Amino acid sequence: MGWIGFGSVRVLALTGALASGVTHAQELDYWVYSDFAQGEALKLQQTFIEEFTAKHPGLEITISGRGDDDLLTGQIAGASSGTGPDVFMNSTSLGAILAQAGALKNIYEDWMAMPEDFRAQFNPDLIKMCTPQPSVMYCLPYTGYGSFMYRNLTVLEEAGIDPKQPITDWSDWKAQMGRIQAVGKKAVPDMSQSWLSLANIYSGVAAPDEWGIDFDNKKTRIAPEKLAEATQMLLDIKPYTSGTSEDDQVTKDLFTTNQLAFLVSGPWVDPIFEQAAKERGLKYDRVLVPGAQEGQYGGVKGFEFIAIAPKANAKIAWEFAAYVAEKKQMTRWAAALGRFNSNDAALADPQVSSHSLLAITNEASKHAIFNRPPFFVKPYPSDYWSVLLDGVADIVEGDETPQDGAKRIVDELNELVADE
Amino acid sequence: MKRPVRPGPREGWPTSSRVDEMQKTFWNYLMLAPFMILFGAFFLYPILSGFRYSFYDWDTVREPVFVGLKNYETVLGSRNSRIAAGNLAAYVAITVPLGVSVAFGLALLVDHFAGFWGRFFRSVYFVPVVMPLFLAATIWRWLYAPNFGMFNLLAGWLGAGNIRFLNDPDVMLYSMIAVDVWVSAGFNMVILLAGLKNIPRHYYEAARLDGATKLQEIVYVTLPMIKPVMIFVISYSFISALQVFDLPWLLTGSSFLDYGGRQKALLFPVMDMMGRGFGSLSFGLASAYGFVLTFVIVLITAAIFALQKREART
Amino acid sequence: MTGLKRNFSRITPWSVAKWAAALCIALVMVFPIWWMFNVVFADPGVPASLNPRLYPTSLSAGIENIRRVLSETGYLRAYYVSVAYTVLTIAGVLLIGSMAAFEFALFRFPGARILFALVMLSLMVPTAATLIPTYLVVAKLGWLNTMQGLVVPGLASAFGLFMLTQFMKSIPQEMLEAARLDGATHFQLYWFIALPLSKTALVTLAILTFMKTWGNFIWPLVISQKPELFTVSQVVSLFNAPLSHTTVDVVMTANLLAAIPPLVFFLIFQRQIVEGIASSGTKG
Repeated sequence: MGWIGFGSVRVLALTGALASGVTHAQELDYWVYSDFAQGEALKLQQTFIEEFTAKHPGLEITISGRGDDDLLTGQIAGASSGTGPDVFMNSTSLGAILAQAGALKNIYEDWMAMPEDFRAQFNPDLIKMCTPQPSVMYCLPYTGYGSFMYRNLTVLEEAGIDPKQPITDWSDWKAQMGRIQAVGKKAVPDMSQSWLSLANIYSGVAAPDEWGIDFDNKKTRIAPEKLAEATQMLLDIKPYTSGTSEDDQVTKDLFTTNQLAFLVSGPWVDPIFEQAAKERGLKYDRVLVPGAQEGQYGGVKGFEFIAIAPKANAKIAWEFAAYVAEKKQMTRWAAALGRFNSNDAALADPQVSSHSLLAITNEASKHAIFNRPPFFVKPYPSDYWSVLLDGVADIVEGDETPQDGAKRIVDELNELVADE
Repeated sequence: MKRPVRPGPREGWPTSSRVDEMQKTFWNYLMLAPFMILFGAFFLYPILSGFRYSFYDWDTVREPVFVGLKNYETVLGSRNSRIAAGNLAAYVAITVPLGVSVAFGLALLVDHFAGFWGRFFRSVYFVPVVMPLFLAATIWRWLYAPNFGMFNLLAGWLGAGNIRFLNDPDVMLYSMIAVDVWVSAGFNMVILLAGLKNIPRHYYEAARLDGATKLQEIVYVTLPMIKPVMIFVISYSFISALQVFDLPWLLTGSSFLDYGGRQKALLFPVMDMMGRGFGSLSFGLASAYGFVLTFVIVLITAAIFALQKREART
Repeated sequence: MTGLKRNFSRITPWSVAKWAAALCIALVMVFPIWWMFNVVFADPGVPASLNPRLYPTSLSAGIENIRRVLSETGYLRAYYVSVAYTVLTIAGVLLIGSMAAFEFALFRFPGARILFALVMLSLMVPTAATLIPTYLVVAKLGWLNTMQGLVVPGLASAFGLFMLTQFMKSIPQEMLEAARLDGATHFQLYWFIALPLSKTALVTLAILTFMKTWGNFIWPLVISQKPELFTVSQVVSLFNAPLSHTTVDVVMTANLLAAIPPLVFFLIFQRQIVEGIASSGTKG
């Protein structure tokens, strides 16, 4: 249904676009992640578009969704030829590459020209991230995620664990895993396989500033002792893992068929479990990722931004971006989809904060580390993640002790960063 | 002193057959023009432009900075290039003979079925070729899954431990080759099958009358008769194998931030080139990489042709 | 009569073996696509990856999946774009390639050898290497987001030229001479003699170009930026994105729908494909 409405709005631009391919002065290209352009999310986005274009007659906005890699390649290719999208999203962790490619317009002036109460809506940490230098601001923080842990209540019941008792620390968590294994189930996926899983464990023992890269001093921020502790944890839980990675379909299937107890992931898999809950009676809840000590929690948070390209339509593009990211729209967005974002004012709104998925994401982000900081400074060296993950894999396989391995990894990472 | 029979350049006026000649040549070029113009605009010019950029440090934004041969040095000297080249060598050395042999075996098998069944099996074996590669990669990832994938369940029953098909650097290449053969066997099979059907039946009858066994029939009748087709299949497989990209990318769940799998076991030159281009915005470097690859491909192809010519002469 | 086995009434160990082998292999080849088919036609929430789905369990769920995919994402429009892109490419490649092949195969003229070698060399350059520079050329022409931007750069196909040239070489010169004596112009020689005689090669080239263009992903990704011009492969990639919120049965529906046209195309034309490849292969 969404498509039909979309189509009728687009019908005039269609033939024009096919024949000439030139963007008219009053036409904006709006690129978003693929899931923003599907289903409920798409309907809401189109509502925003219609509301905005109603106030600006003669303006046409085309929304198109694409997958993560495509989003990046398209924006880079577009920047190099001056024909990319006018308004677009991407992840802050890729901001540096886009900034370097010249895809992002400096919106500092436009930002400062907005009223104070508009600017106060946004999460201040993120505004700082988007403003790497004084008077240089690359984007508006938009949506985000925080990772947390899904628990399969049926499996916990079988293992005799009371879900109402929160997991206090890693020893408690490991004990629970032992009991789950005793009834023949798997406790966790193999958390050494993806950077997100690794970060979720590492964040349970490290401080937020012990992750990412320090470009000024040309070294990684990862602390070897903390990395050693994290990999030790991975070694300890090795007998309880399913062997599959957190992002594999198999892992999700194991969870929905009551063979896996804990899955640390993000809000994007919730729709799958919701569906399984409806159709097959899956019972699950969401809690914060346990940390090494009581009171500590793990978790990773990432953010997406909305930015505008330095093209002819920049002015109206900015207005649209500001409209979409503003409190009223973000409230509707969060309330409808339960998705986290960077508009603090929207998050504080009662109709939003009562949404259970949002509540947990919000809570999780308070204790979480940023996914790939710092944003908008420089792109990560291309082998950074594979060096980290390969090194961790070596430790988990027993080729190296956690202490030696962690030290070696950090040394190699420092070398990589220094080379750039 | 004999007068030349044909009018030549010493004559004053162009003769009718020279005009004819020029007119024909004009038409030759005219017919050739659409192709050549398009080729020039959309292939030659971009290649030359890319070649120029390979000597620059270019991230598509800032002014390209001339760096001479530095990009080529990086390409040839970097650790990743060496790994990629090593993986490629191993991959090509196994996949081309294996793939062609499997395709040949399938072609022989299908050739033994007549009429409807022959066409049936031919179509069925072609299905993996037609499937979107993402589908094939997804299914195979499920089959290869640790502990719970079908292959590991089977291994469990047979008493073997869990095999990490897509995560163990020692095994990954073979896992990928298996999928590769599965996907492309049908394509090569169809070509070889057509070649087989061109072999006149009486050759086989004559061989059988002489008391040849099945194996001897294959070696002495089939193989020699399909040699040109076989050479075509081998060459084409070779050139495609050198450019492999999609399959390892999908099987390892690669993204521009992290590609090639554990220990870069499935890193291949084209993947490395794409990663450097879009992952770290070094397009000059990516261009240099592309040209080194092209050079290698040209060398190898030339070698194959030379070998073939020598064979034909002996 | 094809095949070496003629006697149907005798069941030898050989015939049992061959049938067993052929059926087993057929199973292996088809199993994955059958699995995906069953994932699409299954009740929602059923795990897709653990136990291979051996049979479809719900016709209605499958139809619902298909309906969702077709209506929510402009998949139908993408079909139209892909078909237009493919058909235009085929027409162009065939026409332009055959005109050039005609010259290279049957005539001598200055520069012929050099030009041909140049084109053949291009076969050995990986497409990824020329991606960005070609994109910049197209952008400069103002052809981004247009059908001509999609189609035209692919028309000078070296592979097509190679194949057609090889085939046309077998056209006897006497035929051309005879026609010329009858007063045929150069173009008429091409149109009325060379083309009809090359029918098999043309059909084969058409089919191969179809397969390649339908599955082409990178080029449309870079050129088609507006959703009106998305090809099927681009729409499918929306579903395949790793963090996409869609469930696996919907993702597989999108992928299966993309496989249908090439499969149907192959089933209809398989005889021509095989015969065409055979003749060009043996002559190559």
